Formats: sequence, C-alpha cells, structure tokens
Amino acid sequence: MKNHKLLSLAAVVVIFAPFRVIAADVKVIANGGVRADMISANELKSVFLEKSNSLRDGTYVEPVLEKDGPVHEAFLHEYLAAGTDDDLQSYYRALVFSGRGSMPKQLGSDAEVVAYVARTKGAIGYVSAETAVEDVKTLTIVRENNDAQRRLITRVEPDYPDTLKRLNIGGIVRLQLTIGPRGNVEAVEVLGGNPILGESAAAAVKQWVYAASRSRTIAKLSIPFDSHH
Amino acid sequence: MHKRIFRLVSVYLCFQAGLITLKAQEFKLLDRTVQIHGFVSQGFIYSNDNNWLTMNTSQGSAAFTDFGLNMSSQVTDKFRIGAQGYDRNLGQLGQYHPALDWAVADYRFKSWFGVRGGKVKTTLGLYNDTEDEDFLRTFALLPQSVYPTDLRDATIAHLGADIYGTISLSHRLGFLSYTAYTGHRSDSIYSGYPYYLSSFGAQIKSYGGLQYGGDLRWNTPLKGLLIGASRLNEHITGKGSAINPFDAGLVPYSESSKADWTNQFYGEYVVGRFRIDSEYRRYWRHQELFSGSSESFADIRGWYVSGAYRICKRFQIGSYYSHYTISNIVAGALSAFYPPATDTNLPANHDYDKVVTGRVDLNKFWNVKVEGHFMDGYGSGPYPNGFYTQVNPKGLAPNTNALVLKTSLNF
Repeated sequence: MKNHKLLSLAAVVVIFAPFRVIAADVKVIANGGVRADMISANELKSVFLEKSNSLRDGTYVEPVLEKDGPVHEAFLHEYLAAGTDDDLQSYYRALVFSGRGSMPKQLGSDAEVVAYVARTKGAIGYVSAETAVEDVKTLTIVRENNDAQRRLITRVEPDYPDTLKRLNIGGIVRLQLTIGPRGNVEAVEVLGGNPILGESAAAAVKQWVYAASRSRTIAKLSIPFDSHH
Repeated sequence: MHKRIFRLVSVYLCFQAGLITLKAQEFKLLDRTVQIHGFVSQGFIYSNDNNWLTMNTSQGSAAFTDFGLNMSSQVTDKFRIGAQGYDRNLGQLGQYHPALDWAVADYRFKSWFGVRGGKVKTTLGLYNDTEDEDFLRTFALLPQSVYPTDLRDATIAHLGADIYGTISLSHRLGFLSYTAYTGHRSDSIYSGYPYYLSSFGAQIKSYGGLQYGGDLRWNTPLKGLLIGASRLNEHITGKGSAINPFDAGLVPYSESSKADWTNQFYGEYVVGRFRIDSEYRRYWRHQELFSGSSESFADIRGWYVSGAYRICKRFQIGSYYSHYTISNIVAGALSAFYPPATDTNLPANHDYDKVVTGRVDLNKFWNVKVEGHFMDGYGSGPYPNGFYTQVNPKGLAPNTNALVLKTSLNF
C-alpha cells in the first residue's frame, strides 16, 4: 500500500515536474559583415525558425545554434517559444523533409559558435553573456511593445566603468524605454542586470534619438557589457 | 518466401546504411555545402477483424515500409535546390515503386516573397507536406479522417510552382505566412484510389490533373498558438478500362471533375511539453463518370482533436479522436447499381477512431511507437478510407480494433 502511494507520488512528480529553471543570460552575436547593430525579438525568431533569411536592411543571415545546454535552453525559451528542444529539432526536420529548408548548423560550445560566426558570412548565433567574443559583433535585442520597431537615428554607447571591466564584471542589462512621438527617449527603467551597468546604460540610452512617429512607443532593450572586448 | 526474405534484408540494409551515414550528412561540392538526410520506417499492424489499409492485418502484417532520401544545398544567399526520392510498400499499395517525392528550386527574394518550382510538396493543413515522416510526431498514423495514408497521392505534391512568404505584423501581432500554388497532380497507379476502382473491374492507366490553392497561417502573439486555413481546388481526369456493369463487357473508363475542392481549418497549441492539434477538412467531389453518362456527388468530412505530452526526453504519450463521415449520391445510368448513401450513422458511411499512443526515442535518430486504434465504422463508401472490399471478401464488420507497432530511423 505504502509502495503504491510512493509510486503514485513519483508519477505525479514526473508528470507535473516543472521545466528546468532557465538561469543563463544569452547574447546574440553576428558575423562582422552583418550591418545591423540591433535586431528585434520578432526578427530573431523569424530568422531562427527559417521564415526569413535576411534582416530588415537586406543583409543575408544564417542561424547557428548550440546543440544543448542551459544557453540553448534559455535562448529557446526566451526567443523561439518552440516548446522543447526536441520540438525544435522536429520543426527543422519537417522543413528538411518537405523541401522547405535546411538543417541549421548546431555546434557544441560557446567557443565553437563564436569561431564559426567569426569566419562565416552572415552567421548569427547566441552564446552565454559571459563568453568572451572577438571578431564578431554583439547585437542589441529590441522588444517592441506597442508599435513597429522605431528606427534609431542617434546612438550613444554606454560607459563601461573601468573598475568593473578590470574585475571582469559584465553581462546583459535589460531596459524599458518610453520613446516620445518626436523620437526622444522620455523615460528609461532598468529591468535587470548589474545596477551600476544599468545606470550607465540608462544614461546613454536617454541620449538616443529615434525616428518620429505618431504615437509614443514602449520598447525593451538588452544591452551587453562584455569585459573581454 | 524469397520475396519476404528479400524485403526483410532490404529493410535491415537500409537501417544499417542509415546508421553508417549518420555522421556523414554534409559535404562540400564546388564550395557549397550539400546536406543529405534520410529516413526509413517499418510498421506492423494486427487487427481483430477487418483487414485495414490493404494489408492482411487480421493475420498480422508487416507490409508497412517506407523510406526516403534527400539532398539539398543553399547555392547562393537566396537560391536553394534539393530533391527527395521516396518509396513505400503498404499492403497492396506502393509495392516498392520508387518515386520522386519532391525536387525544388527555391528563390527567396525577401522574407515576404519567395518562389519555388518543380515538384513541390502541397501545403494543406498542418501535416500534409510531412505526412510520410511519422518520426516528426508522437503518433504512428496521423488521424485518417484528415490524412488518409492510403490516399496520400491525392494531395501530397504537385508539379508546378508556389509563391510564399512570411509577413511580420506590427503591434506585436505575430506573423502571417502564406502560400499560393498551382500545378499538376499525378497519382501512381499503385495508390489507393486506382486500387479502389479495381474492385469494380476498372484498370486505371492515368489519374491526375490541375491543382491550385493556397494556405494562410497565423503565428499568433499568444506563445505557441498557430491557426490557419487551406483551400485546394482540382480538376482531375482518370482514364482506363472497366467492366460494363450492364453486360460485363470491357469498355473505356473515364471520370473527370465537375467540382472538386477541399477546405481545411486548423489550430495548434504548444505549451511546454504539451501539444494540442485540431483540424477540420471538408472534401467535396462531383465527378462525371463514363463520359457523362453518370455523375457522382460525394461530401466527405473529417476532423480530429489530438493531444500529446512528453513525459521525459525519451518518452511521449498521446491520444486523438478522429471523426470521418461520407455521404454520396450517384445519378444517371449507374444509379441503378449504387443507391444513395447519405445516412452517416451507418458503419459504411463513417469511421470514428479513438487512438492511444506511446513513443520511445531510443536515441536522437531512432524511435519505436506502440499505438492502439479503436474504430467504430469502416467508411468504405464510394470513396475509400482505409477499408477495401478486395482484402475483405467476406464483408466488413462494424468495429475494428488494431494494434500498430512502428519504428523509424532518420538522419
């Protein structure tokens, strides 16, 4: 009887087990030949689901994935909303076997992704926010809330305090900004990341200028601070 | 006996070939990467009474094999080419006659506009273009009310061209994907409908015609929710010879479409390890028979609801309910032989299938499925749906239970 109860409990635990907690922060990197500095979350999803193979500016891009691990899980959960990794693999296989697409490159580690992106024209991938990236560019991810992506006219890079850089303290800062109809940034809220870096990023973003629009826009940004760069 | 041993050896060699090439699915040709992918699957069905899907399932049958191999390459940033060969043996169908499944040249001008031409898989509902690749799904057999495997040739591909694209919607409304196509459908004489006609003494020499249609699907802002609709129009002509039902002499046989269309509506919701699908298909078929001396009107409706859950990485379970009805009226000279069949409560005019499945992934490339089908009705009316009189000469029982075992390998 006791065993039955234990078995039932085990079954319930297995069936309703929560998904792995996604703790990893990811940054999106692209080959140096990719002109864009920013990419919208929608665009990113479209590229990685092979619904699009170019960015808004017309640059050809080719997605590169990590095989598995927390960075891959975090990217899948945050940007692709494609269920589990097995669901994503089935999605790609469906493209391959119906003549609609190819199996994207899948590599085993952050270092391999960085190396591949650096040498491959149009390659776009993701790695842990902590990974040192050289010879590739890190793209800022824009999340649109209530309007189409506003074109950025003036961009001011945030200061990276020397002390933090020397101590290898970096990562991703997430911001929410309110862009006024005339294109000025009216308000910035730090949603996550190191508070000192957040302050620095907010100060820079306040100086950004976007194209004018008929309405006010709320946008979310992820700004990477890479201590190895 | 020798034929059976040959088949078993062939399947074994295909599995081995697949395993050998698992690590060799990419190579360079003229500085372009060429990908090679393939699959092979082997099934076994045992049914308690009626023989199903043209197999001798009441005795247990393993005449359920298919395999495919494709090559593709991204030639330039915008231009991609590829082709896939496919072969199957499903009871009396296919009979190991290989076919070009698809062969496509695809030029994507922009994400919102691309063109592909050649032999193109037809976009119809969620699974038409991938219905042969069961390893993509939890289930061994797709709901037969919407995706009858014996009739795959009717919708699987067209020789022609598609335009397609994806449009990102503003205001966080997700994105829309569209496909519009036109081309020529050509059924194998080893497919389900010619086999069905052979039960009336008809020998089909050619069967096919114009197909055109479109599909629109919306990836909604709600994470994991997709909804869409498809439309397919056809003008089909079949030619051959048949036994004249009036004097048993051999006469030329012909049939052609006066109206032939399919509407399909579908939705898919994926949340974490759960997947829920549902589709509705209505197929309206108005045929002119024997050069207009008779006409046949068939209204075929199918829908299903399915749910699947991944318990852990290697194990999935799923279930679906599939609902199929057909009603038919024959007018003209042949009406004397075929009374109206419009009562969908009769087992001959419906097939309600309750299904449970377990899937085990032995590794990333190889899976095994066990599936139970509990069918009420056999829907063997004037258009086939899995049950054929040729393999059920003593008549059909109203209910059928079937156990399906299937294993697939892909790389």
